Amino acid sequence: MLLVPCPNCGPRNAADMRYVGESGPRPDPNTATPAQWRDYLYTERNPAGLLRETWYCRSGCRTFFVVERDTTNNQFVHGPTRVTKLGGKA
Amino acid sequence: MSDRAGSEPAFESSVLRAYAPGSSNALTLSDESALAKTIVRAEAGSPASASLAVSFGSSRREGATLVLGQRPDEYMLIGSAQSNASIVARLDTSGHVSVIDHTHSRALFRLTGAQASATLEKVCSLDWSNAMTPDGAVVSASIAKVNCDIARNDREPVDAEPASASPSYLIACDRSFGQYLFDALIDAGGEFGIGVVTAADGLQE
Repeated sequence: MLLVPCPNCGPRNAADMRYVGESGPRPDPNTATPAQWRDYLYTERNPAGLLRETWYCRSGCRTFFVVERDTTNNQFVHGPTRVTKLGGKA
Repeated sequence: MSDRAGSEPAFESSVLRAYAPGSSNALTLSDESALAKTIVRAEAGSPASASLAVSFGSSRREGATLVLGQRPDEYMLIGSAQSNASIVARLDTSGHVSVIDHTHSRALFRLTGAQASATLEKVCSLDWSNAMTPDGAVVSASIAKVNCDIARNDREPVDAEPASASPSYLIACDRSFGQYLFDALIDAGGEFGIGVVTAADGLQE
């Protein structure tokens, strides 16, 4: 069982969460090109190592938050940090 | 103009099946859905939030209403319609505040008994020990795959170990899952002799 550290609820089963995806800066919708939007929406780095990612506490406090996880051992090393749905800090 | 304009629709529970009495009263389940349920959304630190005076993850009793801090910016009032309405009437609704009556949209059950925690542990991944969820605790979690808000609301103080210890949980979920969740709790409590009892009139003292 993967325990995800929610900033409000504490460690919770990943089944109580929704994995939103890798976190990164959102392009400016007024200036971004279609290629930049496609890259933002669909391209993932999928590294073997530290990955900054967003989770949503679906069954608990319904908060979006960012954590940093080592994908080689599933250990959460940084966070959680509350964010808005679009990735900005809450 | 409809004849129903301005009138309160009659309450109808989501639990429609009839159940035989349980083998004992050590573990009981009741349908408390008829209690009024009001959800208040207010940002933390706002006047409305301050007047509700309950922090996230906890609850307090005010008159015939139990005030739950079920999310950082969301509160649920459970109790009599009059009591809920009197609390809402005192709220300062300036800013981003919403008050919505969920009496008809949320099912509410009470699971009580020495084996209530053990029953919940079969269908939910949270730790239901006294240390983690003492009387007054409020959590939201998946029970039998249904998103629920759960408040520990004991009828009597629960000591550490005595056989008479009787934790009691109020479990709220979307009305459409009510019958399923009721059956899932009966299934989980079957090995402990769970019995269905009639809901009390109003919140238990």
